[in-house]
Amino acid sequence: MMNSIMRNKGKLLIILFWILAWEIGSLIIDQEIYLPSPHAAFSALINLLTSKETYITIFYSTYRTLAGFFLSCLLGIMLGIVCGIRKPLYDLFNPLIIIMRTVPVMSIIIIAIMWFKDNNVPIFVAFLMCFPIIWTNTVTGIRSTDVKLLEMCQVYKIKKLRVIKSVYLYSSLPYIQAGMISALGIGWKVTSAAEVLSLPKYSIGRFLYDSKVYLEIPDLFAWTIIIISLSFLFEGLLKFIFRSGDQHD
Amino acid sequence: MIKLVHAGKKFDDLVLLKDFNISFEKNKITCLFGPSGVGKTTIANIVAGIVPLDEGLVEGVDNSLFSYVFQEPRLLKWYSVYENMDFVLKDVYKDEKRVKIIDTYLEMVELSQYKNYKIDALSGGMAQRVSLARAFAYPSHILIMDEPFKGFDFKLKNEMISLFKRMWEKSQRTVIFITHDVEEAIDLSHMIYTLKNRPLEIIDIIIVNNNREEIKNKLLSL
Repeated sequence: MMNSIMRNKGKLLIILFWILAWEIGSLIIDQEIYLPSPHAAFSALINLLTSKETYITIFYSTYRTLAGFFLSCLLGIMLGIVCGIRKPLYDLFNPLIIIMRTVPVMSIIIIAIMWFKDNNVPIFVAFLMCFPIIWTNTVTGIRSTDVKLLEMCQVYKIKKLRVIKSVYLYSSLPYIQAGMISALGIGWKVTSAAEVLSLPKYSIGRFLYDSKVYLEIPDLFAWTIIIISLSFLFEGLLKFIFRSGDQHD
Repeated sequence: MIKLVHAGKKFDDLVLLKDFNISFEKNKITCLFGPSGVGKTTIANIVAGIVPLDEGLVEGVDNSLFSYVFQEPRLLKWYSVYENMDFVLKDVYKDEKRVKIIDTYLEMVELSQYKNYKIDALSGGMAQRVSLARAFAYPSHILIMDEPFKGFDFKLKNEMISLFKRMWEKSQRTVIFITHDVEEAIDLSHMIYTLKNRPLEIIDIIIVNNNREEIKNKLLSL
């Protein structure tokens, strides 16, 4: 108890240090357009938090991020499992995944704008960016399954579906969980990026874009703080779900 | 009778079996005795259908069910003792019967109190007892035991051997028992094949009777 208070105190001091560094930086530059002071950014944030529109915006952006994320989890895990077990399928899909991993986000966003309605562009982009991470981690996890356990299943003639559920899936769970956590973080970043270019009505990206157009730089910082907070919040939530799942088993 | 007929098996350039013949009597315990790496496990795995033959055939195993006690327990560590038993029996027995069978066999290996324990919480000996219970609870015709007591101390080994004997008396089946421990071989088996060389050869076939000392000397002289 005492220890955790001390640790939190330490963390708080570190945060205060960096905010102070930011303050000093903004004092030296002394141009709000380039670097607003923490005070300006936080008062812009408080201003935003009093408006109902902000919450609607947060809701829609969260929905898009999570939709893309869940879609990539669903397909990434399913396809990852079969590709991890069957080498020919892995060979078939691997080039596609490599391309997905290397194509610049901006190319994907621009193509997506041609294909979809503005609302769905960020979902599609988030999906496309998260999917390779989940897929790769799942495949690695499946391949880490102990061959000796699989041999045991073969001797006892366990049905394939049950082997997948009880052996492959449990073996690869730590890999899948790690993949999901990094995919979620990336999901927030690319969703905002896609929103900036596709400009759906209610979206954090649209406000980022507006603050650039109208040179409301403290607003830009405030929205950025919101994205970072959301990202932390959902990462914490995901880790909490994983932990309570582990205890349940 | 289970037979390997004119069996041939290569691993890359290594010829392990060449025109090899061996037979295992039904409902008896047959021991494969010989030095490590000679190919005892390969023979067992060929019989169990885990390893395919290059040449020859396996007779007498059609429609047979196998169970296996490996050198390591090979349990699912994310499951409890009970769930591990349940895992292999799920496709074989209906719910109610399964519960009964699992309870019976856990009782036999004296692990009833531990049935909800995770595998990580068990000692090596306890885990191997679960593996033994799993092998007997499964309605196999043929049971393979591949050096299942390796690394156990004298006391634990003796406990496991008497446990095995008790279980086998209750539910007799064909057992292929692999070891290079003389005492274990004499204690458990009805018949001992002593194996050597590459490609593998049967050096001697020993029927275990009351002449323990003589058999012991024979095995030790190999």
